[in-house]
Amino acid sequence: MKFTIFQESRRGRRANNEDRLGYCYSRDALLMVVADGMGGHYYGEIAAQIAVQTLTGAFQREALPQLQDPFLFLQKAISNAHSAIRDYSSEQRLNDSPRTTVVACIVQDNVAYWAHAGDSRLYLMRDGRMLARTRDHSRVQLLIDQGAISEAQATSHPERNRIWSCLGGEQAPEIEFSRKTPLENGDVLVLCSDGVWGPMPGELMAMSLKDANLMQAVPMLLSQAEVRAGTHADNLSMIAVRWEDSYFDQTTSAVSTKTMPIDAITTHLDQFGRNPAYKSELTDDEIERAIAEINHAIQKFSK
Amino acid sequence: MIAATPMAQQANHALPTGFQLDEYRIERQLSLGGFSIVYLATDAQGKEVAIKEYLPNSLALRGEGEICPTITPEHLPAFRYGMKCFFEEGRALARLSHPNVIRVLNFFRANETVYMVMEYEHGRTLQEFVQKNRPAITENFMRNVFTRLLNGLREVHSHKLLHLDLKPSNIYMRNDHTPLLIDFGAARQTLAADTPMLKPMYTPGFASPEHYQQRELLGPWSDIYSVGASMYACLAGSAPQAADTRLDKDQLIPAMVRWEHEYSDQLLETIDWCLSLNHLYRPQSVFALQKALTEPVLPRPAKREAGWIGQIVGKLKKKTASK
Ligand SMILES: Nc1ncnc2c1ncn2[C@@H]1O[C@H](COP(=O)(O)OP(=O)(O)OP(=O)(O)O)[C@@H](O)[C@H]1O
Ligand SMILES: [Mg+2]
Repeated sequence: MKFTIFQESRRGRRANNEDRLGYCYSRDALLMVVADGMGGHYYGEIAAQIAVQTLTGAFQREALPQLQDPFLFLQKAISNAHSAIRDYSSEQRLNDSPRTTVVACIVQDNVAYWAHAGDSRLYLMRDGRMLARTRDHSRVQLLIDQGAISEAQATSHPERNRIWSCLGGEQAPEIEFSRKTPLENGDVLVLCSDGVWGPMPGELMAMSLKDANLMQAVPMLLSQAEVRAGTHADNLSMIAVRWEDSYFDQTTSAVSTKTMPIDAITTHLDQFGRNPAYKSELTDDEIERAIAEINHAIQKFSK
Repeated sequence: MIAATPMAQQANHALPTGFQLDEYRIERQLSLGGFSIVYLATDAQGKEVAIKEYLPNSLALRGEGEICPTITPEHLPAFRYGMKCFFEEGRALARLSHPNVIRVLNFFRANETVYMVMEYEHGRTLQEFVQKNRPAITENFMRNVFTRLLNGLREVHSHKLLHLDLKPSNIYMRNDHTPLLIDFGAARQTLAADTPMLKPMYTPGFASPEHYQQRELLGPWSDIYSVGASMYACLAGSAPQAADTRLDKDQLIPAMVRWEHEYSDQLLETIDWCLSLNHLYRPQSVFALQKALTEPVLPRPAKREAGWIGQIVGKLKKKTASK
């Protein structure tokens, strides 16, 4: 297995970050998870944390180094995560159980398997285009599917945050599974929360990630999404992986798992960086002055 | 469920050929970056110039056939803020007048954005050059190009500026093989470290360890790391392992090991010296590095066999030839 992977999560303009994300891999399998928690008093982030930990924990126990059945794995692990959140809220005697979305993807033998509940998304990009993406379990998606509203109208729809499937709620999550999807060299998989896809069209992400260095492109996309969202920026989280199985040069930052022992697992959960808000703008006068100053310097130093 | 979604192009459109931009006529687009578009244009006297247009993709969209980009009110503050960074690049370059640094000729405002006019140079980036002319990357080529480039960098440092984004794609090669520094976009880094959309962008493989970790340690030695990485990349044809992952596990094969006998020990040692992870072990000034690069090469015994890869390739070639 050979791939490059990068993940980042930001608070946006919210008081705290209720997104959680992580990936882990063994010699022969890769797992990526993004969860977007909901619920007051910081419990949303606990729900998201439980979801990510349940999935990565199960992966660490079962991917030795392959998963027997990736879809079955996803189904069990997501259901267990749901139960674990329910258990947590009854232990804590919470009236309102915290909830979380989840999107998770396994890659094994160059085949991707993914599943989701809620409105965190997975995109598959190839050659700078969007080849596939998950359908949100949201009211607006239903309205779009019925032809009642357009994609564009959805972005500002008052109910865009209402989802009908998630983990931790009264009802068990409805988990939607992908097909087995063979990956080609250069394919990019993106998992992200709605704070990213809301303000950022998938086409733009696909183009920006094409042939780009993920360590640069992911932070740039998050920054762009954050700027586009303005003062309403939600938490933003993104994991992107570029599949490079036949990639030749070993001196890149690509991860090669060939030399890993069969029972080794590497796990990366994210720590949360703070992001200072950007400073104030330039006025017209300041622009004129800056230009005059630069032109003055050009004259002065050109001799 | 999987659903294919139709594509919509979102990239910015360039100004059309023949467009009269201030006193310049647009000839064609030279490049499209995330932050700007570069054009070839001619001035009133018919002289060729390169014009860089500030047009961050994420904040300003120019559709087909349009001249002024659309900047929604909510993006205006960020757009204006990014403009400050573009001015930083202009300010840095305006103060530098050196044959190995791109020359800025004018700066102006139009179409609701700003433009930097530069001397147009015939040539290509070092990255392109290396990719297309691998056999030309000889010992002499390396020494000549980098010694001259370092003249330019010395000038930058003497103005208390750091380039911070040195890499083969930001080094331009005139057709006569003299190098020059372009793209001082990273000057925006100092300023932009605290804005989300303009987060410092370093290029993995070329950025020093300080770029990633302790930015207060950035100094001339950080640009020197990038020079070493660029030299390494010229020989390797691809970027060296990124400094942050080297800090974790250094898998960079020293130039001394990788190209022994193909280039002088002295050149290879100098490259490895620049690529020291600890900034204190690198050449501390451009001058020190230049000295190492201009010292005469010690005479070396007659050329021995190439490395083992060379030997294998040699054998394979012979085999196919004899068929
Ligand atoms: N003065 C010039 N003469 C000829 N070609 C130029 C000149 N300046 C730029 N170019 C061409 O345009 C390309 C992009 O320029 P530059 O590196 O300055 O911008 P960029 O990397 O797109 O910048 P940014 O990071 O600001 O978006 C160069 O690689 C080069 O091919
Ligand atoms: Mg550049």
